[in-house]
Amino acid sequence: MNKMTKVSTAVDPITLQVIRGSLETIAEEMGHVLYRMSFSSIIRESQDLGAGLFDVDFNTLCESESTPMHIGSIPGYLRGIAETLEDGEWYEGDVVVHNHPYHGASHTPDLAIVVPVFFRGRLVGFAGNTAHHVDIGAATPGLIIDVPDVYAEGMLFAGTKLYRKGEPNNAMWNYIRRNSRAAGQLVADIEAQIASARLGARRFAELLDKYGEETVFAAANQLMDYAERMIRQRIGEIPDGDYVAEGWLDDDGRNRDRRLKVKVTVRVRGDEVEVDLTGSADQTPTAYNVPFEGSTKVAAYAGFRKLLLDAATSEVRVPSNEGSFRPIKVTAPLGSIFNPRPPASAEARFTQCNRMIDLIIRALAPVMPEQVIAGSSASISFAAYSGVRPSGDYWVFLEVNEGAYGGRPRSDGPDSIDNLMANTRNNPLEDLAMHIPMICDRYELRDDAPPGAGEFRGGIGVVKAQRVLTPAFITHESERHTEAPWGIFGGQDGAVGRCTITNPNRPGETREMHSKFSGLAVGPDDVMTYYSPNGGGYGDPLNRPAAKVLEDVLDGYCSVARAREVYGVVVDPEAETVDLAATEKLRLAMQKHD
Amino acid sequence: MARIGVDVGGTNTDLVLECGQGVFYHKVPTTLKNQSIGVVEGVRGICRKAGIDPAEVEMIVHGTTTATNITIEHNGSECGMITTHGFRDILHIGRHKRPCNFSLHFDVPWQSQPLVKRRNRIAVRERILPPTGEIAEPLDEQAVRDACALFRKRGIGSVVIGFMFAFLNDAHERRAKEIVLEEMPDAYVTLSSEVANVMREYERFSTAAMNSYVGPKTARYLRDLDARLREAGVTSKLRIMQSNGGVSTVDACARRPIRILMSGPAGGVIGGASEGEMAGTPNIITVDIGGTSADVSTIPGGAVKIMNPRDTYVSGHPVLTPMIDLVTIGAGGGSVAHIDEAGAFHVGPRSAGSEPGPACYGRGGTEPTVTDAQIVLGRLDPDMALGGDLKLDPALSFKAVEERIARPLGMSVKDAALGIIRIVNNNMALAIRSNSVARGIDPREFSIMPFGGAGPLHGVALAEAMSARDVIVPVAPGITAAVGLLKTDLQYEHTEAVIVELMKAGPAEFQRINTAVANLRAAVQAELDGDGIPRAQQEITVLAECRYHGQGFELRATMPEGPVGAENRHVITDSFHDQHQQDYGYSYRDAEVELITLRAIGSASVPRIEIPKIAPTDGSSIDRALMFVRPTTFDDGRTLETPRYDRGRLMAGDQVPGPAILHQHNATTLVPPGYVAETLDYGNTRIRPIGA
Repeated sequence: MNKMTKVSTAVDPITLQVIRGSLETIAEEMGHVLYRMSFSSIIRESQDLGAGLFDVDFNTLCESESTPMHIGSIPGYLRGIAETLEDGEWYEGDVVVHNHPYHGASHTPDLAIVVPVFFRGRLVGFAGNTAHHVDIGAATPGLIIDVPDVYAEGMLFAGTKLYRKGEPNNAMWNYIRRNSRAAGQLVADIEAQIASARLGARRFAELLDKYGEETVFAAANQLMDYAERMIRQRIGEIPDGDYVAEGWLDDDGRNRDRRLKVKVTVRVRGDEVEVDLTGSADQTPTAYNVPFEGSTKVAAYAGFRKLLLDAATSEVRVPSNEGSFRPIKVTAPLGSIFNPRPPASAEARFTQCNRMIDLIIRALAPVMPEQVIAGSSASISFAAYSGVRPSGDYWVFLEVNEGAYGGRPRSDGPDSIDNLMANTRNNPLEDLAMHIPMICDRYELRDDAPPGAGEFRGGIGVVKAQRVLTPAFITHESERHTEAPWGIFGGQDGAVGRCTITNPNRPGETREMHSKFSGLAVGPDDVMTYYSPNGGGYGDPLNRPAAKVLEDVLDGYCSVARAREVYGVVVDPEAETVDLAATEKLRLAMQKHD
Repeated sequence: MARIGVDVGGTNTDLVLECGQGVFYHKVPTTLKNQSIGVVEGVRGICRKAGIDPAEVEMIVHGTTTATNITIEHNGSECGMITTHGFRDILHIGRHKRPCNFSLHFDVPWQSQPLVKRRNRIAVRERILPPTGEIAEPLDEQAVRDACALFRKRGIGSVVIGFMFAFLNDAHERRAKEIVLEEMPDAYVTLSSEVANVMREYERFSTAAMNSYVGPKTARYLRDLDARLREAGVTSKLRIMQSNGGVSTVDACARRPIRILMSGPAGGVIGGASEGEMAGTPNIITVDIGGTSADVSTIPGGAVKIMNPRDTYVSGHPVLTPMIDLVTIGAGGGSVAHIDEAGAFHVGPRSAGSEPGPACYGRGGTEPTVTDAQIVLGRLDPDMALGGDLKLDPALSFKAVEERIARPLGMSVKDAALGIIRIVNNNMALAIRSNSVARGIDPREFSIMPFGGAGPLHGVALAEAMSARDVIVPVAPGITAAVGLLKTDLQYEHTEAVIVELMKAGPAEFQRINTAVANLRAAVQAELDGDGIPRAQQEITVLAECRYHGQGFELRATMPEGPVGAENRHVITDSFHDQHQQDYGYSYRDAEVELITLRAIGSASVPRIEIPKIAPTDGSSIDRALMFVRPTTFDDGRTLETPRYDRGRLMAGDQVPGPAILHQHNATTLVPPGYVAETLDYGNTRIRPIGA
């Protein structure tokens, strides 16, 4: 599939735009129905989902603009379903559930629901979606890290039919209902996924009816070729060469003394590029591994899409489809952290993906100074809080905490916002506290460590303190307690992340936590506080306009002393002004010093 | 007795006046710096036109973009905020989701253009606890006073007070307001519990902050307008169109300017709804096409729909306030057609605006716009724009389409122009789809109603794309929004968060619901009383915003008559299940339904403008309205000798077969071959396929 599609019918540019718009509207509609209907906050608030239409060769025809980790992952599921499909064939009215990480899934909690699309009695494509579920009966509630193998991840589905020819597979539904700590949410959310997929299939058939099968698929192929052309042009602008960057991950969640290397080699040759992860750590004995098909490749593609087809700076928007992936090759040795062998568990895979993208950006910085940004938090904080209600039922809450971006060639790094592959929405704190035995004590920008200084400063991470009111378990998947986001072109490094457990009834006792921990039992009023890394700076801090440094001081992003020592700006905090003469003198002296 | 509707747009201020002598229309240039100058000018002008004294005007209804423009131009008031300790940055973090998935250089509007700068967000000690709203820590009153001292030092006069869980207990917000007003007697103060008494801190705080951000300036504008009108000898009541399609008083809007952020487009939707009624067609989709954008709204059964408050954003900030359900897209007469580097053909969203404007304006624009394509196709007569008041140069249109589109794509100029029209129509059709089909509306049961001066050029194509029933062209398409202002009711809304699982509810919960309903009714009634509306004419509806327990999004359900109890709660739950089924195609009939918010809507009808009927046809030939014949190119590529008719000379019952173009001062209507345009009772027009 690594070459331009042969198109028999050339669709005129006008019909092409019409069909493109229709496809995109269908994908958005599918995503919309899914998150509006669903019950678990990870889907309805965080919108940790994806939805789209696919042809029989598993090419993406359209995909909803939800969270990037899902975008581009569904074809991997479809290939996995093809390997494992019950009955060995599709019938009209089938609904399949699939999540097997060694058969193309992104990771096990992201269940795919796929329905076949039949047109005039023939299978012509698929409508499908993925969504992150709260609990699928894994070893620990919600999330897992320190587990022995993939069988600890909970229910594994491979090509499993929930409906066959329109009839529900009741045994399977009953099985699912009996094997989750949050069965009510799981089942209702699967039903929402089915409603969304069926809607997509219906719309797909309507579109084929309206424009004809040949025209629609020819248009889809042309749109893929178009996306391919766009990204090839951008790759072609990068000088040929091998670009390398390395970083270290904290640990695998069990072996605390062993840091894990991530090595990225970006090989640019003409209008093609290879991301080679050779030299990265071996696969780990815990769940801290990345499924190759469903996550490693998806993240690498997304990284280039951000870097080369930036939606904010491009006048045109490139459609979400396979075309933009074709010129990108992803290599990771089998048995490494980015391509584990079964039966290794590979559920906790997000932070590795984010760090890979961050390092792709770093590797290319010397040749793309106007497109790259300084080091971002490039991690995630994914927390699973859970407990047992007096009734004996579990409550499980998954929370995605944000990070911060590195400084950029024309602007500061955005503060406290989902980073790189993450793009979820937070849970309203009031909604949360009305419904589960937790309350938030603090949700603000970090003020314990500054962001990386620079002409354009790094973004400021978040501090979030969540208190449990009853005994609970916490599993936390995070990163970057040891290596701060990098500054670039004279910008300074940001700050590492941090996580603590405290209790207001025992002031002064602070437990410093590792970035990853599993199934920690905590008591009433215990507070987990997460501090996300601050982004690195871009460019020399002495070039930051004094007026902006003053703004930072007034807004509490920078102390008066730091303004003087790092930025060479003398601020009078009472008068809220800059002493321009003193600043000029100081900056001159600091430049000479360099 | 006379009434005036005045709608301020980006380019023109449109007025309509209704009095004993009939209905009059007038247009003056918008005065962008201070809209009130143009408004007063227009009011004087239209009174002269009608031959009445301004003192005879009893009511003026005004649609304004003043508040909206503040948010677009980012020039609202410097605000201070007092909030809960530990939560200083709720407005900065928002929902922590980026505006773009695939970008490194994206802008974050709530961070780059904050409604309240961080230095002015002061966190004070206080704590209210869920789920009951009990006070766990009293308000630190001294800290509030200290914050005021800082605000005074910084010259801040607009203050937002937003505390966590204030929707459960507003005591701290109210006390903080008392203190602020002691310390800063002239301050403009907004409480989060006053403007949006609902759960979800970011959206509630953002709504309050937006109110304080646009408040002082909007209040000043409204009061200034009121004063200028008085100076001009106008003694009438001044009413302002709100985003929800109802009108309100100057005082109420000055206190809650967030209610008029969509004042501008609302008039068009209301105008469209009443035109639907005049045509005897309750199901319509309005398409208000301007220079840079088009507003689309679906009106089923004559009822204007209100958006789910979870979807209401203004300039990137959530604002929880009732707004008419409409979508705006960047597609209008000024939308620029261009080809990107990989060869794809786009129209909009970039617009040539009014400077330089379309190429044919001869103001230096070289890129082809939708208007230029219309000229090339002979659909707009360059000598007839605004009745000949605006002269256009067709050679410049031709050149722009040829150089920028036709040549690069290797097609004829005609095909390129047709392509521009087809793409822009498709973009509009997709917006219509998202506002209709995507929500279970079948367009085959709807009429497309295009307006704005160039709207009726697109009507039939849009109807075809959507498989809509037919096209209704309003009486005066260029001024439909202004007319809409004289067709609307007074309307007020109040909300209260009442979180109750309905099937588990007992007497205590029902008591809470019924008390809240009584309070909400009283609040709405007080507003209508304040407008001097007799109780008998007040209409108050209470809605229950519910979701399945565990979901995140509410839908509106019906409340039973009288108090809610165990015996009639099913009225709420049944209507919720039905609404869920209708919106999502699925419902969970056995799941628990949770009430989240109660909303009371109070309205009172005001007298509506009477558009006079025109004379029925006397059987004479439509040749009486024939102006001239020119070649015109239609969507199928055929260029036909096409007669132009003066729409004002057509009589009710006249049938104009396509191909034809109907001219009037403020609009042009295209009737393609195969279609017939029938003049209706009021001079409005229905276009449908011949034989349908």
